[in-house]
Amino acid sequence: MSARHWATRLHLPTLGVAAVIVAGWVLLSWRYGAYVLPSPLAVARGFAEIVASGEIWRHTVASLGRILVGFGGAVVVALLTGLAAFLSRTARGVIHDFLSVLNSTSVFVWIVISIIWFGLSNWAPIFTTFMITLPVVASNIVEGVANVDRRLLEMGDVYRLSGRQKFTAIVVPSTLPYLVVGMKVGFGLALKVSVVAEIFGVTSGIGYVMNYSREILATQMVFVWALVMILVMTATDRLVFDAVSRRLDRWR
Amino acid sequence: MAVTLEVAEVGKDFLIPVIDSVSFGVEAGEFVCLLGPNGCGKTTLLRIVGGLEPPTRGRVLLGGEPVSGSGRHTKKVGVVFQEDRLLPWMTLRENVELVLEPLGLGAEARRQAADRHLRLAGLAGFEAYHPARVSGGMRQRAAIARALAIEPDLLLMDEPFGALDAQNRRIMQQEVRRIWRETGRTILFVTHAIDEAVAIGTTLIMLSARPARIREMVRNDGHLERGKLIDDLNTMIMEEVERQQGVVGPA
Ligand SMILES: Nc1ncnc2c1ncn2[C@@H]1O[C@H](COP(=O)(O)OP(=O)(O)O)[C@@H](O)[C@H]1O
Ligand SMILES: [Mg+2]
Repeated sequence: MSARHWATRLHLPTLGVAAVIVAGWVLLSWRYGAYVLPSPLAVARGFAEIVASGEIWRHTVASLGRILVGFGGAVVVALLTGLAAFLSRTARGVIHDFLSVLNSTSVFVWIVISIIWFGLSNWAPIFTTFMITLPVVASNIVEGVANVDRRLLEMGDVYRLSGRQKFTAIVVPSTLPYLVVGMKVGFGLALKVSVVAEIFGVTSGIGYVMNYSREILATQMVFVWALVMILVMTATDRLVFDAVSRRLDRWR
Repeated sequence: MAVTLEVAEVGKDFLIPVIDSVSFGVEAGEFVCLLGPNGCGKTTLLRIVGGLEPPTRGRVLLGGEPVSGSGRHTKKVGVVFQEDRLLPWMTLRENVELVLEPLGLGAEARRQAADRHLRLAGLAGFEAYHPARVSGGMRQRAAIARALAIEPDLLLMDEPFGALDAQNRRIMQQEVRRIWRETGRTILFVTHAIDEAVAIGTTLIMLSARPARIREMVRNDGHLERGKLIDDLNTMIMEEVERQQGVVGPA
């Protein structure tokens, strides 16, 4: 591969800006000290440490596990609301109203409530993740169901397709892109939210370990775990959602 | 089996009266072209006949059975809309196979019927293509193949070549005429192009300006000189277009 090819792939201007930021970072770190702003080198060392000790996996898996339950549950419930919205126009209206209420409820409300209801346990971050991602995924699906091309449904009526046949052949495929977008946005949100909820009451997960690092004054580890979060987010976007979107677009 | 169609004093009001009262009968195996100025109610009439829209007045009988709004009669009706209405995520073959499912055919029979009708529509070799990968003319052919595949008692076509260029339009007219000869279906074909109607229809029905009545019904079996017929129909449609635009008062 030519040097030029690599230059475009790595996006040279972005790298340039990154270099400037790192330089600024080093300077500020000297000026204010490692407690306020650890040096890039300290962060890199910290990262190598958690990889070597395997601690990176323990906390990442713990966070992802909670996300899987909370976000996965939200996706399942969102799919059911989509089905209800397809079956009944009244249900669609009710769902729409409830989703706008859920959508305007703050993360903090759910964190506090979940601690009251579930105490200091795994269920607190799971429940918070569920409540925050449900409206995002569900409103996408319901919008997808509402936007199904009526002319295609009418074609289905002409040829006397059953409700089930119309659902699988027409409604599901036209709603799928909305579902993928909803899940992509929802997953990003799930990661951000569950980490916040992990500050309270659990003893594993990225949010827990970040807060713990702050308490023991290991600021460089706060940065390391932030980096882990960014990597997890980017990897799922690239490896899962982009791949799924590309697959869905094959017929275009 | 092709069946007779009887349209008896059918009328339709939306916010305005669109169809005043239209009555005509179609014999099994006839190729009827429905002509009229834009916006006079041709699509509405076709949708009523297809059971997609309930009439305000009158009734439609298909092989003696009433066509209700919900379309619960036992006859099979194939519709080719102005747009192809293919499912973009399915191949041409899958699109045709889908409409054969309610008929209770097995997978193998569906596939054979789909391929046979795609071939009939000149799409042999394109069975596994998605609609986005073929031309507009081919998509419309696939829609025709789909309508024919259910072996409809009545085939309804609403300006199916409206989006095609002149050459493709002529080719498709020939194709539909050929398919009609080979299958003997009863066809109701809506168009506002007089040359198209004269080229393919055995019976031509000219609707008046809105609210529509039948202005003229002619048998196009060669007893009339073609040029003269086209001229006469052109004069009529011009009058109706002007009437619809309010240039001339009601007759
Ligand atoms: N669903 C509807 N609601 C109200 N008006 C309609 C509806 N469908 C058609 N129309 C009106 O009926 C008239 C005839 O329409 P249409 O049958 O589509 O005409 P054509 O197919 O002859 O061009 C138009 O004025 C149109 O606006
Ligand atoms: Mg029309």
